[in-house]
Amino acid sequence: MSAAAGRVYDLGFRRYEGPREGRRCAVLAVYKNGLRTALGLGRGGRAKVVPWLFISASLIPAVVMALIAGAVDRAAPGFDASKSLPSHAHYYAIAAIVMVVFVAVIGAELYCPDRRNGTISLYLVRPLRPADYAAARWAALVTVVVAAAWLPQVVLLGGLVLGAADPIGYLGAHWADIPRFLLAGAALAVYYASLASVVSAYATRRAYAAAFVVGAFIVSGAVVAGVVDVLSRETGRWLALLSLPDVPLYVNDLIFGASTAGTTAAEHLPAAVQVGWFLLVSAVATLATLDRYRRLAR
Amino acid sequence: MLLRARGLTKRYGKIVALDRVDFEIEEAVTGLLGPNGAGKSTAIKLFLGLIEPTEGTAEVLGETAASTVAVRSRLGYMPEHDCLPQNLSAAEFLTHMAEVSGLPPAHARSRAAETLRHVGLFEERYRPIGGYSTGMRQRVKLAQALVHDPVLVFLDEPAAGLDPGGREEMLALIRKTNREFGINLLFSSHIMGDVERICDRILVLDAGRVVHEGEVATLTRETETVYVEVTARQDELVAALRERRVEARVEGRMVVVPDVVDERYDRIRDALVASGAPLRRLAPQRGTLTELFRQRGGP
Repeated sequence: MSAAAGRVYDLGFRRYEGPREGRRCAVLAVYKNGLRTALGLGRGGRAKVVPWLFISASLIPAVVMALIAGAVDRAAPGFDASKSLPSHAHYYAIAAIVMVVFVAVIGAELYCPDRRNGTISLYLVRPLRPADYAAARWAALVTVVVAAAWLPQVVLLGGLVLGAADPIGYLGAHWADIPRFLLAGAALAVYYASLASVVSAYATRRAYAAAFVVGAFIVSGAVVAGVVDVLSRETGRWLALLSLPDVPLYVNDLIFGASTAGTTAAEHLPAAVQVGWFLLVSAVATLATLDRYRRLAR
Repeated sequence: MLLRARGLTKRYGKIVALDRVDFEIEEAVTGLLGPNGAGKSTAIKLFLGLIEPTEGTAEVLGETAASTVAVRSRLGYMPEHDCLPQNLSAAEFLTHMAEVSGLPPAHARSRAAETLRHVGLFEERYRPIGGYSTGMRQRVKLAQALVHDPVLVFLDEPAAGLDPGGREEMLALIRKTNREFGINLLFSSHIMGDVERICDRILVLDAGRVVHEGEVATLTRETETVYVEVTARQDELVAALRERRVEARVEGRMVVVPDVVDERYDRIRDALVASGAPLRRLAPQRGTLTELFRQRGGP
């Protein structure tokens, strides 16, 4: 064997003399780790099943809606399917339950294990504040939910454009839907992620956190819808604000000028009240999450 | 100066966890000793900047601990309790922890590999941590405290839960970390023997106050008491010693001779010959931390 073929050097453990990037790098690392955790990247096959199953499930309504619109367009040329059939404005209401379950499961996965395993104590002694950790996790959750909200809308748009007899003409007529569904999707993601974060920040077990979030959305929506029907219009429209699944849909409806919320009574309230309530709920939930982690360090 | 406490006080309501404590910790391996509730955990939390003092200051590496998080990029912490994710590999977990400590991703990956090699887990680095033994998990805990090359590492009961073999290996690894790489350690433990073996200095807390601090070597130096272990004829040996005006007493197989200085060793030798007691061992007694705390009524 040739002596010059190659040598292996075991340099072993050495002192580190490279760059140290501080708090910004630490927060970014927690954020990136949150994205990988949420999507199961770098984990075993089981960790990938749940997120990708929900993302796939959220695509189904978009694909079906695009196929129906395309079929109608061919069966009845000149019929404007976007005005008569569910479209971008309706997608978030149709896929709401899938998205709520998705955000509940992913939110629990992002927050609960670090506290249950005790790993949070290792984060808290590194160069970032407790609120930095919570904010980075929240941002990761929002990012994943935004992507999960926008992807079906993009698929739907592609389906509608390609299915139209005049794709360029369709795109020219409906281009304004693009910023609308981007804005509505972002609003929806912030709202869902904020509520899922605050519940998961207090729960130790993932299953409890996910079940509580899903239960709160379903129960509040059902109870408010039932109660609003028997109340006066004035009282009912204020009470409708307590329907958790409908709050982001009021914002969606304002953006699209549509009516998709389950409990429509609140639509009679001024737009500023609907948007203000949406912002208030999201902000209080986010601040409560940050405060939970500030207290955790003590 | 690694750590400096000046009038450091921490109260939780009416409970005083630390009471106007003053001490300094230099570059070395320092043992932090004390019974439960002595204030050890509170002191560590104060120096890590996780809580703020009620009064006084806690300085770490020349900075006030509670006022900045930047200094934590030069600190490591190995907690006693379980703190590892189950579904990540050791390589991915350490890379992530290095990044959270401020290392760029490429540097973090190579540091993770080097550190896992240092703690003896290089071959196992891609296995999920959930499948590791207790000893391997302790090594991962140590590795995450070292991965970003800290100046000072806080070790909280690092050998807890390990069998005797695992304990020996962990203590050797910790000692090597200090001796070969110059990483300073604050070693919190209840096990006096571990502290004696690992530490250069000790700081003893009790009820929120410093009750002792000093060099371990000073505490464990030889005393003037000599233990003479004989396998038989202990009483004859004691009688022979007394004939030579040397006081002695029997403790099991040992004959204990206090106040032995120079010429008394000759008298012990003569008494052994005269009594015919078969000698097994003759050695001066060394002080131990356990003895120190027994005298002080400590932990």
